[in-house]
Amino acid sequence: MPKGLKLLVIKEVKDLLRDPKILIGMILFPALILPIMGAAINISTGSLVEKSSGPLTIYVLDQDGGKIAQKVMGFLRDNKVEIIVLSGSYQDAIRNVAGGGVLMVLPEGLSQKIESGTRGEILIYYGFKDFSILESLNAQRVSGLLSTFENVLVRDLISESAPSADPDSILNPLSLNEKSVIKGVAQPISPYVLTNIVRMQGLMGPLVIMIVLILAMQVAATSIAIEKEAKTLETLLTIPVSRLNILFGKLVGSVTIALLATVANVFAFTYYISSITSQAISSIGNIDLASVGLIPPPEGYFLLGLTLFGALVSALALALTLGTLAKDVRGAQSIIGIVIVPVFLPTIFLMMGDMQTLPASIQAALYAIPFTYPVLASQSLITGNYAPILAGLVYMAFFTLFTLYIAAKVFTTEKVMTGRLSFKRRSP
Amino acid sequence: MVRVIVVRDLVKEYPGRRALDGITFEVEEGEVFGLIGPNGAGKTTTLRILATIIKPTSGYVEVCGKDVLKEDMEVRRLISYLPEEAGAYSNLSGLEYLRFMASFYYNDEKSVKSAIERAIAISGLGERLKEKTSNYSKGMRRRLLLARTLMVRPKLAILDEPTSGLDVTHAYHLRRVIKSYSKDYGITVLISSHNMLEVEYLCDRVALIDQGRIIETGSPDELKSKYSTVNLEDTFMKVVGFAQGS
Repeated sequence: MPKGLKLLVIKEVKDLLRDPKILIGMILFPALILPIMGAAINISTGSLVEKSSGPLTIYVLDQDGGKIAQKVMGFLRDNKVEIIVLSGSYQDAIRNVAGGGVLMVLPEGLSQKIESGTRGEILIYYGFKDFSILESLNAQRVSGLLSTFENVLVRDLISESAPSADPDSILNPLSLNEKSVIKGVAQPISPYVLTNIVRMQGLMGPLVIMIVLILAMQVAATSIAIEKEAKTLETLLTIPVSRLNILFGKLVGSVTIALLATVANVFAFTYYISSITSQAISSIGNIDLASVGLIPPPEGYFLLGLTLFGALVSALALALTLGTLAKDVRGAQSIIGIVIVPVFLPTIFLMMGDMQTLPASIQAALYAIPFTYPVLASQSLITGNYAPILAGLVYMAFFTLFTLYIAAKVFTTEKVMTGRLSFKRRSP
Repeated sequence: MVRVIVVRDLVKEYPGRRALDGITFEVEEGEVFGLIGPNGAGKTTTLRILATIIKPTSGYVEVCGKDVLKEDMEVRRLISYLPEEAGAYSNLSGLEYLRFMASFYYNDEKSVKSAIERAIAISGLGERLKEKTSNYSKGMRRRLLLARTLMVRPKLAILDEPTSGLDVTHAYHLRRVIKSYSKDYGITVLISSHNMLEVEYLCDRVALIDQGRIIETGSPDELKSKYSTVNLEDTFMKVVGFAQGS
């Protein structure tokens, strides 16, 4: 690295890292706030789960008094539900759940109907007091228990009417043994579970890429504007160092700070995501993708690195060019606020859907954005579809060279001092 | 004598305005040359062109025989520029700032250290140089920046309003430093100022500039004598009056 460039990079990193706005706002704050958010969600979810799995009371108004009514109450008691049997009218009974709780009404003739082969009806009243998640969870729990009871009842009814038959064979005469074929090999995993896991694991890549690019662009765009505002740029332009070295010093300095911020963000974000999705993942089965033949190959990672580097350099060159033309830090921030839209658009589009299913016009627009390719490369780690990535790399190289050329052009002219690009309306 | 600055027919146009309208002057080695004129006269534009920050629309400018347009990097090695509104990196200490700047001019640590020692002496800031520059007063920051400008002993020091906005104590210190440094080390100084007292004290020769044109050049004494005035302020008003009446 040339001496002048090295001096500029060291100064840039030192100056930025000592800036409380950068250190606290971009590195320490995300590193602390996201784990705190994750922990808070964990604590509240944990206590909710604990409470919702605790003792449950159901008021029962038994107007039937038959065999089925006894059976359902017995089933609920076996499942740790406290039953409080009420007497009197339905209007009196419903008052018991005015402040929250569950009332089950077993209408007259319920047992007779079911035993004679017609459908019976159980009425459930869920009392809402504060519309909390706990009330909703309790309702789901009662609903789930009664659904299980229905299964038990069906099996009992089948056994009574056809003692020699297997209720399961009658209820589910077909057994579906689903397998997913991955790279020509059948793997014992259902397509729904596989898709969920791939989506869940593929979520991190694009999000991290988006964070890196946005952070780097913000640092780069404001770094020249800070020099303008602090009145240090004019002096810097007269010392014996080439303008291109000043430009690259800003680039390398911004990348360094962005990478530090990224490390902090990735750790924080990983913790946050794992905090809020741990239950979701465990519910669909925590399956290692490598065990079903989805091991990302080294060339996939290499391509991802290349596209990420290309996107980073082109984003920084773009941010530096526009930041150079801004009058001050606020101007640079307002410009970047608009430029980051194409950075997060590919992530949003591709995180929620597939490129192939998007309308042709949106596909064309996304392919024209260089920041799309790292997201595609992240997805291709699993799909192995590298063709669009390779074409994208060539396109990105041209885009980056062109943007760097413009940045260098702006930087080597007096536009670096006289630039006044702004999205604010000029006063007449 | 060796000519350090040669400016010929210098024109600078901005959209809708001509900032410099054919300026010509020369400055010899060791001279302290002042550009005097009202706001918007073209002083800062001239200094910025000599400092290789902006490019002229037409005309010729050289520093120590180097064309500022074609040999801008060589020119930057010969000059040291103090802008009118200059700052230091607020998150660096005064000493870190001086080291950062000196390192661009010297390749060996010994020379860098010598330059920093000179800057410590010039600034007179002592222990305060260890503090972040964000803690400095305006006067202290200006002393640091002048020290940065002179510590590399440039062939040409370009000083734009070096004492603008400073109190008497800081301004007095800076003027004495500029005068003694120029005299002791034969440094050529190009200075722009509104302060006529400062100009009379510092400059060997001055150019009176108005509306992008030089309207008179000479030593302060010559000009005062020519226009029968007691100070440069009166001289300037008289010359500007003549120029506008002509």
